Amino acid sequence: MALASGTILTGLGVGLNSVRGEVFWVKPQATLPGPAKHAGDVAAEKATLRGAIHHVAAYLDEQSLGAGETSAEIFEALKMLLEDEGLFESAIAEIESGWNAATAFIVAVDSLDEAFAGDAALEERLADLKGLARRVAAHISGIHMGLDLPTTGSYVIVGDDFSPADTAWFTDAVVGLVTLRGGPTSHTAIICRSKSIPALVCCPQAVDLVDGTQVLVDPVGDRVVVGGDASMATKAISFVAKSLDPIIPVRANIGSLEDSIQAATTAANGVGLFRTELLYLSETTMPSVAKQAKSYTEILRAAPEGPIVVRTVDAGSDKPVPFLDLPHGDNPASDLRGFQISKAHRQFLIDQLESIEVARKETGREVWVMAPMIATASEAIEFAQLARSAGEYKVGIMVETPSIAMSIADLAGKLDFISVGTNDLSQYLFAADRMNAGQGALLNPWQPELVRLLKAIASESEKAGITSGVCGEAASDPAFAIVLAGLGFNSVSASSSQVGAVRSALSAVTLEQAHQVAQVALAATTADQCKSAVLDALASLA
Amino acid sequence: MITTTVIIEDPIGLHARPAGQIVKLVKESGLTVHMGKAGQELVMANSPLRMMALKAKTGEQLVIEVDTDDQGVADALFAQIQDFLKG
Repeated sequence: MALASGTILTGLGVGLNSVRGEVFWVKPQATLPGPAKHAGDVAAEKATLRGAIHHVAAYLDEQSLGAGETSAEIFEALKMLLEDEGLFESAIAEIESGWNAATAFIVAVDSLDEAFAGDAALEERLADLKGLARRVAAHISGIHMGLDLPTTGSYVIVGDDFSPADTAWFTDAVVGLVTLRGGPTSHTAIICRSKSIPALVCCPQAVDLVDGTQVLVDPVGDRVVVGGDASMATKAISFVAKSLDPIIPVRANIGSLEDSIQAATTAANGVGLFRTELLYLSETTMPSVAKQAKSYTEILRAAPEGPIVVRTVDAGSDKPVPFLDLPHGDNPASDLRGFQISKAHRQFLIDQLESIEVARKETGREVWVMAPMIATASEAIEFAQLARSAGEYKVGIMVETPSIAMSIADLAGKLDFISVGTNDLSQYLFAADRMNAGQGALLNPWQPELVRLLKAIASESEKAGITSGVCGEAASDPAFAIVLAGLGFNSVSASSSQVGAVRSALSAVTLEQAHQVAQVALAATTADQCKSAVLDALASLA
Repeated sequence: MITTTVIIEDPIGLHARPAGQIVKLVKESGLTVHMGKAGQELVMANSPLRMMALKAKTGEQLVIEVDTDDQGVADALFAQIQDFLKG
């Protein structure tokens, strides 16, 4: 039954701007049938395969038309690989050996694994090609692949949850997004934030939305309004900068050279979180110190002015590094990860620290290094000793486990700084897996339990003479950033796309006002109440 | 049969784009062309995937063999391929 115009669906908003669009449901993808033999008609299978490849090629052409110039080139390159003659010949050989058309094409693509192994650029193309092979197989099996998104018009896509791979298929016609599950720190939310697509996640009532309905996605109001228009959008509090500089520095989060260049175009004061995993995810063997140092030098050189906080590799959980022997447990979030893995692969950690030191000297930049996933004070001290013997940088740790939050006093004199990763801290504090799309509501940064723990971390750090910052997603929310400053943190670090907004917010209040706002947050007993009380307090200041 | 050697100048090596450009050119020319690393078996230049699987890197030499007796035609083809490999 269609929802009446004016109906309000609530969830957790991602982004600062509202958008109106037509509901477009993305259905969950059906699973492909397993490998199977054909009934004996080789010629018919060949024709089927040719037709299916043609169909997917036409789909790529269509995608290419609606895409920008850069994306169009990508689609064209993909089409060329899909229609590769050598690939088709090897698929035909598989059909002749008995496999049906769908199986034969997948087998033919998989057989490229060996030839392409060890080269990051080739492996990426192969991964793309495998996605296309699944499409070919799906077409043959009569299965609809859910992400055939419209290329023109304005659509708000609705689904259970989206994977990072799904988001690669988003077209320009995707102006908004609503998910039934997922939380504010899910990958979908992070990608929407970086692409500036307004979204509402964790909105189970969206199950009743019907294709074709016009809706307003109002992330600031944490809601979707059925039939709503721009006039109903909740205005983000517009912060008018009253001083030139924010009350605490706003840094940028980066993970690659591209990010570093992008961050340098913002007003960010240095980098508050340089995630180094991306440099290693596509390597099949451990890269040499020289190779690592070269990458770090390029990235440090491009980074915005100010200190650069480099996090040693946080492998494991959702970030597998191929050349490290990583466990695959039932509960990845509780498996060995971060610093625990670095302990088992000590040489890798030493090489990484040395590479960063080479780059630091080469560029003359101010570098801070920190270890992820520290659980105890003794781990923190062990890392500090290792880092101080490897280079002349400030040394710190991430605070992402409730356990280390209890031991900050023990780190006085041992560490220069700490940086809070709110995403992981929330998942371990609330026992709510970030990858579990049903747990989104608990991962809301406005949960009073989290705010109170953050208060304790900031106070303990100050007493211990340790500089404290926050680099989790929560710091990308301008209003929440004011709360963080008021709780006593010395800096925040946000996605590049949010640096400007966070900076404006932190330039619009005095430190005294931020303290008052933090007190309001600390007094709240539910997440909703916390957020609305803080927004009210901020509105009365403006 | 006319043979030459070209050098890969593209900083990413023989990746998808130059491989695709070469295959397109070869198909349009209607000629039979083989390519590969010196001292190794050459492959038919009608499949970008096969060419990418050569894993030819920046600075490496590639042998090109074209099935024609017309030096002018061959030279024009070689010049264009070398151009594609400039990145």
